[in-house]
Amino acid sequence: MKLMPSRPNVEAKAAPARQTGAAMITIDRVSQVFRTSGRREHLAISDISLTIEDGAFVSILGPSGCGKSTLLYIVGGFVSPTEGVARVKGKAIRGPGPDRGPVFQEFALFPWKSVLGNVMYGPRQQGVKSGEAEAQSRALIEKVGLKGFEHFYPKELSGGMKQRVALARTLAYHPAVLLMDEPFGALDAHTRTRLQNDLLKIWERDRKTVLFVTHSVEEAVFLSDRVVVMTRAPGRIKQIVEIDLPRPRRRSELLLDPRYQKYVVDIEGMIDDTSEDELRP
Amino acid sequence: MTVIRAFVSRSAPLMACLGLLAIWQVAALMLKTDSFPGAWEAIKAIPSILGDQESLINILASIRRMAIGFSVAVLVSIPLGLMMGRSRAVASFFNPLLMITYPVPKAALMPIILLWLGVGDIAKMLVIFLGVSLPVIYHSFQGAKAIEEKMLWSGAAMGLSAAQRMIRIVLPAALPEILTGCRTGLVLALITMVTSEMIARQSGAGNILFNALDMGQYDTVYAMIIIIGAMGIGLDAAFERLRARLVRWSEPGFEIPLSFA
Amino acid sequence: MNSRAVTTDILLGIVPIALMIALWQALVSFGYAPPALLPPPGLVFTRLAQQLFTTTYQQEIAATLFRLFAGFSIAVLLGVSIGLAAAASPAINAVVRPIVRVLAPLPKVALYPALLLLLGFNHQSKIMLVAADALFPILLSTYYGASMVEQKLIWSAMAAGTPRRQILFKVVLPAAVPSILTGCRIGLVISCIVVFLAEMITSTDGLGHVLVTAARTFQAVDMFVPLITISLLGLILNGLLEGLRNYLLRGFPEV
Repeated sequence: MKLMPSRPNVEAKAAPARQTGAAMITIDRVSQVFRTSGRREHLAISDISLTIEDGAFVSILGPSGCGKSTLLYIVGGFVSPTEGVARVKGKAIRGPGPDRGPVFQEFALFPWKSVLGNVMYGPRQQGVKSGEAEAQSRALIEKVGLKGFEHFYPKELSGGMKQRVALARTLAYHPAVLLMDEPFGALDAHTRTRLQNDLLKIWERDRKTVLFVTHSVEEAVFLSDRVVVMTRAPGRIKQIVEIDLPRPRRRSELLLDPRYQKYVVDIEGMIDDTSEDELRP
Repeated sequence: MTVIRAFVSRSAPLMACLGLLAIWQVAALMLKTDSFPGAWEAIKAIPSILGDQESLINILASIRRMAIGFSVAVLVSIPLGLMMGRSRAVASFFNPLLMITYPVPKAALMPIILLWLGVGDIAKMLVIFLGVSLPVIYHSFQGAKAIEEKMLWSGAAMGLSAAQRMIRIVLPAALPEILTGCRTGLVLALITMVTSEMIARQSGAGNILFNALDMGQYDTVYAMIIIIGAMGIGLDAAFERLRARLVRWSEPGFEIPLSFA
Repeated sequence: MNSRAVTTDILLGIVPIALMIALWQALVSFGYAPPALLPPPGLVFTRLAQQLFTTTYQQEIAATLFRLFAGFSIAVLLGVSIGLAAAASPAINAVVRPIVRVLAPLPKVALYPALLLLLGFNHQSKIMLVAADALFPILLSTYYGASMVEQKLIWSAMAAGTPRRQILFKVVLPAAVPSILTGCRIGLVISCIVVFLAEMITSTDGLGHVLVTAARTFQAVDMFVPLITISLLGLILNGLLEGLRNYLLRGFPEV
């Protein structure tokens, strides 16, 4: 089964010129081995190569434990790969940096800082003057829909609001790449939908490169330009599916679109194939 | 490689002991005063203390009182702590009382208790009992409070009565925390014992220590410090072994390396 | 928790204390305990109230408090820095860990004679004993809190451009504050206890010394007064620390 871009793009005009061409992230034959406590070695991901162009929204999809988050951590520079090399703008990744901003499922907000304090953290760290950082941060907080909550502490917010703060905190230091690690995984279905819509709106406005890890097929198809389907551990790339749906996307239209439905069904089929492996001892 | 590493990590506390003794020896050689003999002289004085029948009997009597005081305290404190953890009323009944007794040094009650009960084993055991109780109650309380409510619901659904749930669910689930309390309690028992003997000055390890100080037998002072210190370290290590065995199922939430340095 | 439940809690909590005082009074009133051994509670509390307003007694309290604070501050300073360093550096950890394992269960009070011989019978030996006793709970909980900091918090800060050497102070330390304060609370109570005991063993002033003097002259009333004072001091200091905790942890979820 191939879902490569052979399909003609009927609504080409809807997609504003994407800054394709320039590779933002290149992952070159990366493998990751973890040593568990019992001196056993666990191959999390194996021999992955992938290129993500500037401005692309790419999702990594796979069963839990397939190492999809590990791949994201490698790009983030939080974990260094056992083999192979990951590059951002052609430079080998040696550690975390403000050009790649993570958004975690666990939010990872600083509990000792207010909403404003969390969002201002990055700009302040970049040396932006406090007044200016505050103005920028307030604008961002408004952009993610949290105006009026500037002085709340994370514990006083719902899960969805926390994730909005986490997104704003990352956007605040203008990373070239957003690394989203199952960002909506801990949220209820309704909040999840709203945040997907809002993320899409924000993304379609400034078109950052996004690497988005998820286990929801619908979410991946709805948001992405391209979906990378991984196999069960050790994670390998099973298939790459170009999602050739017009932008800007609207949920109400998309859910009725037979092409969207076909993508979902096809990709679910691939995932189903992989989960058969799970039953093998 | 792993064998060597295991050996190093197992012998590390021993190495630390030797290292500390070595530092002591060097410091003593540098200071050169009568009141600060080296580690070696102190160690040499140990056999004569333990060889002396009277002091040996004294020390053993101390240990016996400590063991009884500790055991009784644990037997009373665990049920009390668990009940406080499971019932808000019981907790609010006892909490203020415990809070006002917490900062009172238990060994300081020694003069008053001696006044009431006279010089005897009961008074000394009572002080140890008081010293041990609070941490054991506190940790049992915390352990019982932190239990996942749904675990108890599952138990109730399986037909366990309240008392059965207490013994078969709450007690084992709170065990790691209870044993942490017992470990603190054990060291406290020793501390209370030594301190109350220092204050009462009748018999026991603490008394030997201060008598030697008064008489200027500095070797004996330092030898007693080593003996008492070794008792503390030995008791703690033995209890830690027992604890690790009893709660093998509980996750060791400790040895997680942080990767930023 | 509504206010009625809180009121019930407070009432329930007063019951055992009231019962204890009632029992105490009853023992004296019905002649089970001679007043020489167990003075009536009224007498003890009047005496306490009188004493609190005399300069001599205030000086005793001041001496105790000075030693307590000096020792406790040293313990906090050392405990937090060693604990953080051990959590941050595997090399330091490898050295500190076994030493702490050996020294933590050692009954520090046994070191007191050595401290007396080395530092003299003055403030220093008592302060050092307090510091030695309060150090380990603070050190251990700092280490524990610092090594439990959520990895993703650190990653988030690193991605925002925090240099590695700043992570310790910008993320690990603030994230470990709840745990550090728990350690400080234990350390503070231990300080109260130890300073009192040290003063009982050898001293010429302080609350512990007041108790010993009373015991030598069989003044039962005066034996109770310093004990109640140290209990009150402990409660007040604990309350102050609690206030500080509430202020510092205003962002943290309830624990």
